[in-house]
Amino acid sequence: MSFEDDEILQGFIEESLEHLADIENDLLAIEERGADIDVELVNKVFRAAHSIKGGAGFMGLTVIQDLAHAAENVLGLIRAEKLTPTPEIVNTLLLASDQLQQLIEDTGNSNSVDINSHVSALNLIFEQGEPAPGGDQPVAEAAADEPAPIEEGTVEAESPPQEAAPFYLDEELIKPEPVAEVEPEPIPEPQADPVAEALPEPAPLPQQEKAQKKPSKQAAVPVTKQDTSIRVTVSLLDQLMNLAGELVLSRNQLLQTISSGDGRNAEAVGQRIDLVTSELQEAIMLTRMQPIGNVFNKFPRVVRDLSKKLDKQMDLTIVGKDVELDKTIIEAINDPLTHLVRNSVDHGVERPADRVKKGKDARGLIVLKAYHAAGQVVIEISDDGKGIDGDALAETAIKKGLITQEQANVLSEKERINLILLPGFSTAEQVTDVSGRGVGMDVVKTNLDQLGGSIEIDSEVGKGSTISIKLPLTLAIIPCQIIMTGGERYAIPQVNLEELLRIPASRIKERIERVGDAEVVRLRGNLLPLIRMADVFEIERTYFDPVSEETRLDRRENVADRRSKSTPLKTDQEEQEEAEAARKQQEQPRKGDRRQSVASAMNIVVVSTGAMKYGLIVDQLQDSEEIVIKPLGRHLQQCQGYAGATIMGDGRIALILDVSSIAGMAGLTSLEGSERAAELADAAKDAITKTRDKQALLTFSSAPTEFFGVPLNQVERVEKIKQDDVEDVGGRRVMQYRGGTLPLVSIDEVAMVQPMDIQENLLVIVFHLAGRDVGLLATGPIDAIEISSDIDDVTLKQTGIMGSSIIGEKTTMLVDIFEIVQTINPQWFEELTASGSFEDEEVAPTILIVEDSNFFRNQVKGYMEEAGFQVLEAEDGLEALQVLEENISEITMVVTDIEMPNMDGFELTEKIKNNPEYAHLPVIALTTLAADEDIARGKSVGVDEYHIKLDKERLMKSVHKYAKECSLA
Amino acid sequence: MTTSTQANKNIIELATFYVGDALCGMDILKVQEINKLMEMTKVPQAPDYVIGILNLRGQIVTIIDLGKKLGLGSTDLGLDPRNIIVNAPSEHIGLLVKRISDVVMADPDKIESAPANMNGIQGGYFTGVYKTDNKLIGILDIQAVLKMSSENINRV
Repeated sequence: MSFEDDEILQGFIEESLEHLADIENDLLAIEERGADIDVELVNKVFRAAHSIKGGAGFMGLTVIQDLAHAAENVLGLIRAEKLTPTPEIVNTLLLASDQLQQLIEDTGNSNSVDINSHVSALNLIFEQGEPAPGGDQPVAEAAADEPAPIEEGTVEAESPPQEAAPFYLDEELIKPEPVAEVEPEPIPEPQADPVAEALPEPAPLPQQEKAQKKPSKQAAVPVTKQDTSIRVTVSLLDQLMNLAGELVLSRNQLLQTISSGDGRNAEAVGQRIDLVTSELQEAIMLTRMQPIGNVFNKFPRVVRDLSKKLDKQMDLTIVGKDVELDKTIIEAINDPLTHLVRNSVDHGVERPADRVKKGKDARGLIVLKAYHAAGQVVIEISDDGKGIDGDALAETAIKKGLITQEQANVLSEKERINLILLPGFSTAEQVTDVSGRGVGMDVVKTNLDQLGGSIEIDSEVGKGSTISIKLPLTLAIIPCQIIMTGGERYAIPQVNLEELLRIPASRIKERIERVGDAEVVRLRGNLLPLIRMADVFEIERTYFDPVSEETRLDRRENVADRRSKSTPLKTDQEEQEEAEAARKQQEQPRKGDRRQSVASAMNIVVVSTGAMKYGLIVDQLQDSEEIVIKPLGRHLQQCQGYAGATIMGDGRIALILDVSSIAGMAGLTSLEGSERAAELADAAKDAITKTRDKQALLTFSSAPTEFFGVPLNQVERVEKIKQDDVEDVGGRRVMQYRGGTLPLVSIDEVAMVQPMDIQENLLVIVFHLAGRDVGLLATGPIDAIEISSDIDDVTLKQTGIMGSSIIGEKTTMLVDIFEIVQTINPQWFEELTASGSFEDEEVAPTILIVEDSNFFRNQVKGYMEEAGFQVLEAEDGLEALQVLEENISEITMVVTDIEMPNMDGFELTEKIKNNPEYAHLPVIALTTLAADEDIARGKSVGVDEYHIKLDKERLMKSVHKYAKECSLA
Repeated sequence: MTTSTQANKNIIELATFYVGDALCGMDILKVQEINKLMEMTKVPQAPDYVIGILNLRGQIVTIIDLGKKLGLGSTDLGLDPRNIIVNAPSEHIGLLVKRISDVVMADPDKIESAPANMNGIQGGYFTGVYKTDNKLIGILDIQAVLKMSSENINRV
């Protein structure tokens, strides 16, 4: 065959496949309408069949011609409304179009394929309908209609992969009759002419001059499939051409600038090239974009066929066919989507009888939806079927040994449902028993992972499930975060990126916790597993020194720890790990030293893959860049952890990290993550019960060498101000604050501490005391931390300082803001004391303070005595009961801590409230546990009021309130 | 050029080079170019004979240390080694060698079958040896060299 012929043939094939893709959906639409025939629609199908027939005749592809002809005859009858398109007829037509597609895909051998069964089935319908002259007439018309555009635009010519299209026909239709050869005769005759006219055109259908075909650009993706072509609108091509022209101009400018050595101009040219290149990139991207409808369009058929086979009734709604995605993604998404849709039909939607029983519509509904969200495309497949039972899945997973019972216990419902995605979760039978879902879902997930996509499942038992798939718009160019480890740069795709975290050297010790051999960081209350990139990739640990701007080797024991790269036996590995763990412990102090230097903060890239999230520790964070993915060579395919490589601006190569396989390499699955989290939660709980009384502190400083802390709950807010904002008025320092004047105090005014270090940038910690705001001047660094109540209230106690504690290896003084303000502004408190003071003749009420910590007990006692109350003390609940028994006549009120040894505050309160003798006593709980459930529990056992520890003002207010009530009573 | 090749169509040209101390050769038509070693990016976890990847005019080239691959110990990067870029199916691969030597015209008839072992290199990597007046050139089987290590295990 000559080259020209070949091109014409190619054109015919593309054309025809396009027609066939349309035919399928149109036929389904025709079937749906039944007797109510949409002539226009039938006409369209008819014309398509006709074009194929015409083209095939011209090419000498007689078998295709015959089959198309037979189909056309039947369609002609339908169009003439002489035949009602029953599902059987449509079925036959669909099978015929499947066959046509196969034939056209393999035109070379098409003439030797036996299509008798199809032709005879069609002819049978044709004869049964109305064989008469009516059949010929419309055909002639159709020939005249032909030049009407059928579908133009950028429809992809490639056909979806065939599911085996069997030569299956309804029994009644299999009546082989040799009519085939005779029947077609009359019709091809009039055909000859229009086809002959079309001869000079490269393609048998001349109407699509507007759309040109253009060989697809070789993408950076490995060519595994056959070369396909793609349709691009001419306007887009023109735009590309223009841009290419601009680029050439810019290049000329650049060359000129370089030869003349004009530095200033170079900048302008650089900008221009930057602009043109990004526009060019966008335009080229557009040529690769395909509507997702290309994939969606086959699903009506899939759903129809499958539901028929399964005896179910189902509607499919498709939304967002026009959403465009990169061609490669469209191709790759096909299989996973088919899988998911079939799953929904097969397992998701119940049988009609079951549905009716549950009060649902007998017809199930599957919705296929595509839309843009946050720079990604989301595809949702939802059904209103029976949903997925997470508990059942968890059970199965436990049975299969994928997770343990303990792990299952800590899983959320959503995590349970997503267990279905675990590799090796299921083979069909086993899960179908339990839940009816999950056939090879892990395969779907793997496919999506390869595309840089993610999958998430939401489900409610009995209501249905929704599977959302998130996909990048394109694979070729992706935005990435560039990081550096071991002196080499790596790129992390931005889709996986959650956030960047930098832990200053001084905070590493407290932020990074260790559970077993795993490191975790506490991030906004959640525990995030950490992976050291250097360890996973077996690179020598390094760190980046921003001062000298160089990467240095992290000090570790050398020689022995060089892991061999040959595959070590498992035992070897374990030994190594042990050795390493031991070594790490030795290392600890050294590392501590090194980390203390400001230079080496810890850089963590928080990444996520689907349900799993972890932090990757890297040496250095760099820019985010748009990069072009290039595949790695064959020899590197076996290396895990890479998604490819890219060429950076300086010409060097950076490897692109595959976040999910790194998690795998580090032995981290989402489950393990939650296991660790559970362990940690337990550990944290233990820690709390052991140390009890955690106090949240705001730490700050005022002179370079002294550090202070105040209870966080006393702080209203913290303001950053400039030195100039502080005004010295009337011997007082004030600043303007929220439209008023805020008095400012500093610690050195009252306490014997080093003088305030007045800097350009100051902090004002705002407190609310005695009905007014007051600001405490301070300098950074400030931080909020939790300490256990190991407070020394002797050594450093003085006016304004209630005690000290060791925080982060520094002695931190705890500021008593009341005392400070009281010393400076005694008049503020006069009112308060007036209202709370007791007349001499009156007996001061006695308060029982129950508190295990010396510090707090003394503190509270101090407040009370200051206000004139009598105070009795007890160290725990048991002791308190004893004291109560002995002094019940005197005691008017109980102020108790919650967390105490022997008997805690809740129990004590319960005992008090349940004892008729004590029940009248108001109980004020004083605690650091301010969680809602604690408060609720307190209320339920009878706590009258809840106070956060050391909020003196509120505490005293309610103490006074209850004291008054008591005295009145 | 064309005429001369046609005239001596039996003669093949061998690009020869030193891998360690062994003189090896390969059909010059399989060589795309020979470079100095450019800046490489190391690939952690790669097989030990892959010493990195580099950017060759926008293509990513995997660099294989031929010395290591053939079991002669790694090539010293300090001695200005050369990189022979060869075309492999769907990618380029760079073979790092110690030093480039002459181009030798060889009469295919005089190529002898490879010994089981030559200068410590497994015979399987050679298609044959060619003897010139004063030296012996081992002709490398590039396909065998480019095979993955896992595939090589099967050949032994």
